[in-house]
Amino acid sequence: MQFFFEVLIGGLLAGVMYSLVALGFVLIYKASGVFNFAQGAMVFFSALTTVGFISMGAPFWLAVALALAAMVALAFFTERVVLRPLVNQPQITLFMATIGLSFFIEGIAQLTWGAQVHALDLGIADEPIEWLMRNTGMNISKFDLVASGIAAALVAVLAVFFNKTRTGRALRAVADDHQAALAVGISLQKIWVIVWIVAGLVALVTGLLWGARNGVQFALTFLALKALPVLILGGFESIAGAIVGGLIVGASEKLAEVYIGPHVGGGIESWFPYALALLFLLVRPEGLFGEKRIDRV
Amino acid sequence: MSAGGKIGGPILEVDDVSLSFGGVVALQSVSFDVRKHEIRAIIGPNGAGKSSMLNVINGVYHPQRGSVTFKGASRRDVDPHEAAKQGIARTFQNIALFRGMTVLDNLMTGRYLKMKCGFLDQALYWGRARREELAHRAKVEEIIDFLEIQHIRKTLVGRLPYGLQKRVELGRALAAEPELLLLDEPMAGMNLEEKQDMSRFVLDVNDQLGMTVVLIEHDMSVVMDLSDRVVVLDYGRKIADGTPDEVRNNKDVIDAYLGVAH
Repeated sequence: MQFFFEVLIGGLLAGVMYSLVALGFVLIYKASGVFNFAQGAMVFFSALTTVGFISMGAPFWLAVALALAAMVALAFFTERVVLRPLVNQPQITLFMATIGLSFFIEGIAQLTWGAQVHALDLGIADEPIEWLMRNTGMNISKFDLVASGIAAALVAVLAVFFNKTRTGRALRAVADDHQAALAVGISLQKIWVIVWIVAGLVALVTGLLWGARNGVQFALTFLALKALPVLILGGFESIAGAIVGGLIVGASEKLAEVYIGPHVGGGIESWFPYALALLFLLVRPEGLFGEKRIDRV
Repeated sequence: MSAGGKIGGPILEVDDVSLSFGGVVALQSVSFDVRKHEIRAIIGPNGAGKSSMLNVINGVYHPQRGSVTFKGASRRDVDPHEAAKQGIARTFQNIALFRGMTVLDNLMTGRYLKMKCGFLDQALYWGRARREELAHRAKVEEIIDFLEIQHIRKTLVGRLPYGLQKRVELGRALAAEPELLLLDEPMAGMNLEEKQDMSRFVLDVNDQLGMTVVLIEHDMSVVMDLSDRVVVLDYGRKIADGTPDEVRNNKDVIDAYLGVAH
């Protein structure tokens, strides 16, 4: 039983990291209805920019601030060059545009900072928490716990921002109804820039945490694929869904690896979330927290 | 009839406006004005160009010819969010509300332009942003009282019955404290009682809050009771303009509504 909990908690903590990636997708999808394929590239770009500045001798916080500035610049660039010319185009067009954008961002990142793997040290050790180890015998990583704490804080800040402030309400308003949003005086372009900045911030936090764990490398871009089952489980429109979806994916893949894996030869972790998402699509295609679409015929 | 004595000079002048979509002519050299504090109705059969007219005033459509002058400033090609900044609020024929938000949040969104706090203040939600939020909340509560929707304050708009949604949409427009309020069929699809309530609100908005109202409506008895002056459109042209009594007895108007014997 103690082993089960160890695996479960480890899985949940890993799941928080998946939630973070999915969160970036949800933010942009909510406000503009665009599935932003470039979110993975943004994670990679922001992490690489941070380590790039660190390797140039910048202190950690300055490097993070500079990377954030780069994400803000990227948000303005994307709105002006990609979103504005394509306004009112079908969603698939915008989706294709974000695929193009992801190649562009990956290219710029590697052109600027090179393609080798960088280590990133956040000063949090990836070792078992001794107190827990001594008292319960469970092996839970300190890094995972801190990372989850940071993710939780980020989500809490976003929740207050979305629910209590004028701009947050404007973001939700735009997500709900463009016509009405314009009529109350909300400028769509401004809102898009803001939502891409927020998604950039989430990408930066994600990139730093994942980069510290697995090294800052090109593989970070594939996080976008890992976010897919999370989004299918949780629903594309829901922040709460991204969190719960991430937890389910994290916990279930670790449990499946440990308990089902040995019977089928292992390696189950890498595909189990996708199989789970597929099953889920059959039962509840809109996700746990997604909006059910009712079309008038 | 609303208080006729208060009515002032023109606040909005529509001059020779023509609008077409490809080969379809929606409006053909339409001119009229709206005076401060009056209730001005736009009526006409289906497809007469009433909603197009409202969309021109509010900047959704940009007319090919003619001009719209609001508060003395002539404007070309404003966007809806700029029109909102100038003090024009509106409701839509097919309710356009933020369905996933509560009534309260919908109304707070209506105050978007009244709130001044910067992005950073809000991101941190410190002192200033918090105080501002509370001040505006008080104003929104006044509107909630005014429209008698206290009991649904925290309800998601998507769950409300149609008549109440219409009322909430009016509330969101009022929250912006506009000088000019555009109402696109505020009573469409309502039962008699709901219509009476809505009529009372429109009169009160005009009378107590002093807002100028431009109203599109199909129900003739409502139009005749509420409005100070009426514009009649048919096939994109203005065929009559005057007080309800004048319009009611106008031969062209009767022909447009009842058809002409050939």
